[in-house]
Amino acid sequence: MDYQVIVIGSGPGGYVAAIRCAQLGFKTAIVEKYSSLGGTCLNVGCIPSKALLDSSEHFHNATHTFKTHGIAITEAKVDFKQMIARKSDVVSQNTYGIEYLMKKNKIDVFNGLGSFLNPHTIQIAGKEIQSIKGEKIIIATGSKPATLPFIKVDKKRVITSTEALELKEVPKHLVIIGGGVIGLELGSVYARLGAKVSVVEFLDRIIPNMDKTMSKELQKSLVGIGFDFYLGHKVTGVAVKGKEVTVTAENNTSESMSIKGDYCLVSIGRKAYTDGLGLDKIGINLDERGRVEVDKHLKTNIDHIWAIGDVVRGAMLAHKAEEEGVFVAEQMVGQKPHIHYNLIPGVVYTWPEVASVGATEEELIEKNQPVKIGKFPYKALGRARASMDTEGLVKIIADASTDEILGIHIIGARAADMIAAGVTAMEFRASAEDVARMSHAHPTYMEAVKEACLSATENRSIHM
Amino acid sequence: MSLEMKVPSVGESISEVIVSQWMKNEGDFVEMDEVICELESDKATFEVSAEIEGVLRLKVGVGDTVEIGGLLCVIEPKGEKKEVIAPELKSEKVVGGAVKIIQMHVPTVGESINEVTISNWNKSSGDLVVLDEVIAEIESDKATFELTAEATGELEILASDGTTLLIGDLICQIAVTDEVDSKSLVDKAAEPEEISVPLASQGYAASHAAPAAAKILAEKGILATSVQGSGVGGRITKEDALNAKLQKEDVSLKDIEESVITDSTKKGDDSDRSEKRQKMSPLRKTVAKRLVSVKNETAMLTTFNEVNMQPIMELRKKYKESFKAKYEVGLGFMSFFTKACCVALKDWPAINAKIDDDEVIYSNFCDVSIAVSAPKGLVVPVIRNAETLSFEQIEKEVVRLATKARENKLSIPEMSGGTFTITNGGIFGSMLSTPIINAPQSAILGMHNIVQRPVVKDGEIVIRPIMYVALSYDHRIIDGRESVSFLVRLKELLEDPSRLLLGV
Repeated sequence: MDYQVIVIGSGPGGYVAAIRCAQLGFKTAIVEKYSSLGGTCLNVGCIPSKALLDSSEHFHNATHTFKTHGIAITEAKVDFKQMIARKSDVVSQNTYGIEYLMKKNKIDVFNGLGSFLNPHTIQIAGKEIQSIKGEKIIIATGSKPATLPFIKVDKKRVITSTEALELKEVPKHLVIIGGGVIGLELGSVYARLGAKVSVVEFLDRIIPNMDKTMSKELQKSLVGIGFDFYLGHKVTGVAVKGKEVTVTAENNTSESMSIKGDYCLVSIGRKAYTDGLGLDKIGINLDERGRVEVDKHLKTNIDHIWAIGDVVRGAMLAHKAEEEGVFVAEQMVGQKPHIHYNLIPGVVYTWPEVASVGATEEELIEKNQPVKIGKFPYKALGRARASMDTEGLVKIIADASTDEILGIHIIGARAADMIAAGVTAMEFRASAEDVARMSHAHPTYMEAVKEACLSATENRSIHM
Repeated sequence: MSLEMKVPSVGESISEVIVSQWMKNEGDFVEMDEVICELESDKATFEVSAEIEGVLRLKVGVGDTVEIGGLLCVIEPKGEKKEVIAPELKSEKVVGGAVKIIQMHVPTVGESINEVTISNWNKSSGDLVVLDEVIAEIESDKATFELTAEATGELEILASDGTTLLIGDLICQIAVTDEVDSKSLVDKAAEPEEISVPLASQGYAASHAAPAAAKILAEKGILATSVQGSGVGGRITKEDALNAKLQKEDVSLKDIEESVITDSTKKGDDSDRSEKRQKMSPLRKTVAKRLVSVKNETAMLTTFNEVNMQPIMELRKKYKESFKAKYEVGLGFMSFFTKACCVALKDWPAINAKIDDDEVIYSNFCDVSIAVSAPKGLVVPVIRNAETLSFEQIEKEVVRLATKARENKLSIPEMSGGTFTITNGGIFGSMLSTPIINAPQSAILGMHNIVQRPVVKDGEIVIRPIMYVALSYDHRIIDGRESVSFLVRLKELLEDPSRLLLGV
């Protein structure tokens, strides 16, 4: 055996698994198809989208709030080329960081498409073809944007999130298919830069996996920056003619409509990526959605092969993959780590941001669980008024009898960072009153969480 | 004014009695002159009647030894109870359902038993329990007992499953509620709008392990519910987890998912190399200790013989139906062996004797212990005065004791004493064995399976159903002549059962 552990895929699941394996003393190798490490997250996902979201947010502030703040500028202009260039810099800094971490942990990096020759041998087709043997193997090949069978993604006018991060111009009218996280984040980027954005969503609300209150509030905010929403609409066709894209859709009463734009972003979700991995050759089972089938230990049907991240069941989130990477590595040495899947937070990096952890109100109603709900609006928050970020609210759902916090849903400035405190509280099974009785620095956005907890406890918010 | 009832003087030279039975339970209403209790002295049994009517409060339990004049129970006259409780009921509203806390301690369960293990809680903390309801099963090294609730109310468990406690240790407490209040307690819980503030030690988060603590506990194979958390609301901190010790691994291992420990030297092999650690039950520990001490402290050896079982088998075949029809019990081999042993023991009394310090005690009766494989381990109930019993009585006694053994219901008296033991490894297929003496007895007979063997009879090889028998004995008081002769005598009796009838 050349290695004790071989990790296939260097996204946040794969590289974290490799580092943890190395920390635990395994001789570890990592295989990456692309020339840069980091997978979707670092190259064409979380990080570049956040870079563009931040840039576009600055522009939005320059054109919308500076004046009120007392900053006079003649005219803010978008240098889109520079924006994309800065984004690329951020990406390369990050991927370089991963390379450094691999070196530091003495993990051998192999560039090329990894595929199973047999259960212990991985062939790497890069500049040359070589093969390495490993005692244990972790599949972390992630996911790719999904599309619909009748949509031809030409990557020029009909694009996925990958291309949306590399456009040469700001669209005039961006039509987005799918009102989920990815579509709304990228839509926000271009809406702030001046594009008209239309979102066609099959379900009756955007971000349908999150609490309904969040959907409603976010929709309000996005309409405010120029979004049009076509909810409950099923896309029936996408046609490209020169520079024009026409998206046709019908509503639930089968009335047809069409939207013309210059770009169409297909963001209906992502699918597990196992192409060329040779799983059929060694008989690894896939589930009905093409994901690698794993048991609760994240082990495949072959004893020494595990799979983590987007390629297995569960939320397609970088931080979920990271937890799974650590989880698998630690199990290999006989440790018994846990992952509380219901306490993995979900975040939407729009502005206002949306973040949540635990159960939604709808889920608890469905379970007939008696709950108490406390809400607190950003409007009533001194900190929010000071920075003119008064959109949003915090919603705390607690058990009606024990007061245990069951769900935390935040829409508003800095929600993404605030949710960590919610995860902490819930990991320790805090009650709403527990949080309400903890000192929160003033003035901060987190005060809204404390106030919402007070409201959930006995409807005794102080500042409402 | 409540009345204290004491043990009456029951006869000269009787200084103490044992409570053999309570006809009434704690909290029962008793009429005047109603028999409430049965007492046993070493001479006779007495009944005790209620001196006034009222609510009974027991002060001693069944099996307790009480001196003459000692307190038996208290009877609270009717009406008084309400007056006492009423003011407390008011305060109950404040503390959330509890009137007062009854603390339950490990009861005295028998002589020479000083510790017990909680084998199973039937109820959980926070459950409403009713007076006399069985709430837990307790195991000592001799038997299993049921623990019943001493009051009606909300249970709080203070010693978890698998905990070993000394007699008198605190085991649980019950926050007493009366019926009306227990109902309102339930109603309250069903109302979604109201918030009940749980007691610190039994709240929803009790035994909730913090993330790092959960991992440590899982690796130690400890169930979080068996750990007393020191954090807020009973939460288990990392420190709690680091300090936690395994208490009852058999449960935890079953419940906690199996770890994936792969042996890096093995490839693609799915053989299970995991191990399971299980704490020895008190019974197992006692058995182990006693067997080793017998091996070490006696001069034990074994002699063998073989028995032609054909005559007994023919006899059984002949009378099986009529015996069963008449006595409603099957005619087995045990009655023949027990009867034969009793006769042989009379002939060779040393086999029936035991050493007490530097004296030898010869028993003029045969209390024959029979080894029974019970779910919790080996037990040896005793057939008393087997020499006086008929075949039918022996068979019935064997069935009765074996059934109780399998249900873990043998009482300590039923297992105490015994002058000689019979063990039958044959039922599991043993051909030959050297059994270990059941101390302080001096000998044990091992029965084995019956196999068709070629034997020589009158100079010819014939096939006979043969059982090898073994007698392990303590050479300190039994000589070879006696042990071998005992076994030969046994052989004679079994091969010609009509000798049992004639006593020759």
